[in-house]
Amino acid sequence: MDCQEAKEKLLESFDGALSPDDSRQLERHLIACPNCAEFGESLNSLDVQLREAITAPRLSPGFRAALRARIDRQPRRLWAHWLPDVACLAGSGAAILCCVFLLPFPASAVLWIGALIAAASYSVQTLVLSSLEEL
Amino acid sequence: MMKDEDVDELLRRRRYEGAFGLLLDRYQEKVFRLALSILKEAGRAEEVTQDIFLKLWQALPFYDGRAALSTWLYTIARNTCYSTFRKESIRMTVAIEGRAEPSRRETLSQQAEIKQLLERLPRVQREAITLFYLEDQSIQDVAQMLDLPQGTVKSHLHRARRALADMMRS
Repeated sequence: MDCQEAKEKLLESFDGALSPDDSRQLERHLIACPNCAEFGESLNSLDVQLREAITAPRLSPGFRAALRARIDRQPRRLWAHWLPDVACLAGSGAAILCCVFLLPFPASAVLWIGALIAAASYSVQTLVLSSLEEL
Repeated sequence: MMKDEDVDELLRRRRYEGAFGLLLDRYQEKVFRLALSILKEAGRAEEVTQDIFLKLWQALPFYDGRAALSTWLYTIARNTCYSTFRKESIRMTVAIEGRAEPSRRETLSQQAEIKQLLERLPRVQREAITLFYLEDQSIQDVAQMLDLPQGTVKSHLHRARRALADMMRS
């Protein structure tokens, strides 16, 4: 094991346990190489300092009550979340039926074309809404 | 123990209140720690954690199951934190500069010093190493929270450790 490999293994040892073989090789290298041993010491000391400095505080006991109060202050939705979908499909259906009766084309052709346009517009609407949600 | 599948089931049955309660039980502390790793200040992180769960509550009916719940929630969390961070960056920069007087560094405790050194790391390295210690040294959790592959998280951790060790020597 050369110095570069030893330093990589030293860094890896903080992510999780090394394999027994890697540990043995690293140990042998550190005995023979004071530079890498010093690097290992500095990483150990850094690890101790990071453990002491980065501690996880907990949320305050009033967190949930405050969140609940904010949720309660939110205005209620005027309509159910599925209503725009239903309105879109009902509107498309009504428009297609009107076209079937009013346009001077065979009813089956109007139905097919209308259904395709309705499906395309519904897909576009879904895409736009999901992009807005991700924003 | 509650699993994300239990929440999925409640969402399918449109029982948003119950699903939201389970998500709070499971993720509120994790989201808080994620916010803390980005915003660095516990009080602000708690406020933003509230904002995140408020957004989650409003978005729950629109969850479509395309992404895992945890991925979806952490995406909302990260976006909210970064947006807050951008809005407050001027104020925070002034605050950090005010604390980081190099001439007084030798009088600061080791903990304060290491926190100052962390500030000098690139953002993603600082977040990765902070979360690593906040999350009980779980690379898997850090990767999930930052939406990065585990190998990338390890690489950020290695670079951060090398840089911190160099800074401590100099």
